[in-house]
Amino acid sequence: MKFRCEREILAEALATAGRAATSRSGTLPVLSGVRLDVKDGDLTVTGTDLELTIRLSVHVHSDQNGSAVVPARLVADIVKALPAGAVEVSIADDEMSISAGRSQFSVRPLSLSDYPAQVEPGGEPVTLASAEVGNALRQVVRAASTDDARAVLTGVLIASEDDGLKMVATDSYRLAVRNLPQSSILATGQKVLVPGRALAELQRILSGDDELTVRLGTREAVFEVGATRLTTRLIEGEYPNYRNLLPSSHPNILTVGREALLEALRRVKILAQDSTPVRLTLGGDTLQLTAITQDVGNAAEEIDASYDGAEMTVAFNPDYLAAGIDAIDGDEITLATMDPMKPAVLRGVGHDEYLYLLMPVRVP
Amino acid sequence: MVKADGCVAIHADGGAYKPLNWMNAPNTIAEITDGDPRQWVITNPKKETLTITLYEVISDSAHELGDDPGLQKDGVEAHLQELLATSPHTIEDGLTLVRREYPTAIGPIDLVCRDPDNVVVAIEVKRRGDIDGVEQLARYIERLELDSSLGAIRGVFVAQSIKPQAKVLAESRGFTWVEVDYDTLRGIAPDELRLF
Repeated sequence: MKFRCEREILAEALATAGRAATSRSGTLPVLSGVRLDVKDGDLTVTGTDLELTIRLSVHVHSDQNGSAVVPARLVADIVKALPAGAVEVSIADDEMSISAGRSQFSVRPLSLSDYPAQVEPGGEPVTLASAEVGNALRQVVRAASTDDARAVLTGVLIASEDDGLKMVATDSYRLAVRNLPQSSILATGQKVLVPGRALAELQRILSGDDELTVRLGTREAVFEVGATRLTTRLIEGEYPNYRNLLPSSHPNILTVGREALLEALRRVKILAQDSTPVRLTLGGDTLQLTAITQDVGNAAEEIDASYDGAEMTVAFNPDYLAAGIDAIDGDEITLATMDPMKPAVLRGVGHDEYLYLLMPVRVP
Repeated sequence: MVKADGCVAIHADGGAYKPLNWMNAPNTIAEITDGDPRQWVITNPKKETLTITLYEVISDSAHELGDDPGLQKDGVEAHLQELLATSPHTIEDGLTLVRREYPTAIGPIDLVCRDPDNVVVAIEVKRRGDIDGVEQLARYIERLELDSSLGAIRGVFVAQSIKPQAKVLAESRGFTWVEVDYDTLRGIAPDELRLF
């Protein structure tokens, strides 16, 4: 195999596919590599850890077709470090040579025959607007759990409903729900659980005005954007009934500027150390945020707000609260609560398609 | 190494606790002494065999180690005490902590609390509750009773699991006993509320 490619393009392709390659020991050693296939001017780079596969093609100037598996991390680091301009790559039996300008590297490839075969996607392709899906992923994926102990919660539920698509994620402390009206990739009533990690990668791949093509199988989901294809295994299991968690009424509603709240929280949070919460004192036309860390100090800030309800103090994990406010679209947000021990609901004013439910923290 | 229960393990200088090869009990060991070198043939109920050829015997000794005393992990016990100190209500409703490691002349008491009637409650925490632990609690309470300012004192014996004899002894001494679940206690993040 022999090809020539611009450094930027090659580095980007290696980095993207390399994110699906595994660095975990104990798995198949060849999975720490990326597979390169050169065919008539197209280089295809594939990375997989058997759960998630990322494959993309770029145009190169090829002299000789061929396939090889090379160490993902090492080769990506080399290409990234090369001087700008064209990079020449050639791979013979047991040597990969990479050169650019006066730099010259030679790397041992991994075993091509050990690399798992890639399955071509089945299922009906459905096209979605990538900008809208990208924003929905940004809002929802953050609430998915990263704790493998409860695998179901590491997924994002994508469910088809009468009025379109619903995306749901929760880590049992918070819950994000996003509606995508008029989008349909599933039969009505059907639902799948897609790993949050795969969707976080998809979010990075989605850009600009590209169209996103989705194919949902029974065991895997395939997402295609331009020349990049992401395949992920679906999570099996029963998702918690999140509808029961959504409170039916909220007697207390706070309306506050999104940016002002986020800024104030960012400052006050500095003194919410060692997982101490940030307290929100609700009442009148100001919102007070306070944080107290024993033996360290405390912080307080007041911001203008309008509040309709009983006076109370409710406390939250500052990171979870900030993540929720950050996810919301619009200039103003509402925080609706029942009492300091019940989940609070954050929404953007005029943006009913998204809600972020957050459990408070008990404070004395 | 041949253990009293019959299991056989072949160890090397490295590899920590992991044997190079082994055969679990129950099994039978036949020593074949007529050949040179000697061989041991270990056979399990599935008729699988492990044959060990002994080329050189440097030392051959047998030691009686007696009853298995069980493994006591101090880390867990200390953590258990810590968890119970932050949520004494899991031992008994309405308890409030006075002090962890309450000092006495014969050693510190794990937890000293007060109940809603303001009665002092001395608590001994163990991983495995047996008679020794109950006796220990009794000795501590004797010491505490020397201090008349404390008033009446109750004893509570807390462990992950308590042996039946220890339960009987605790009751006969007028103590109450409570079995607690370590994993559940660990799962109780004191202030973090969950959606489900």
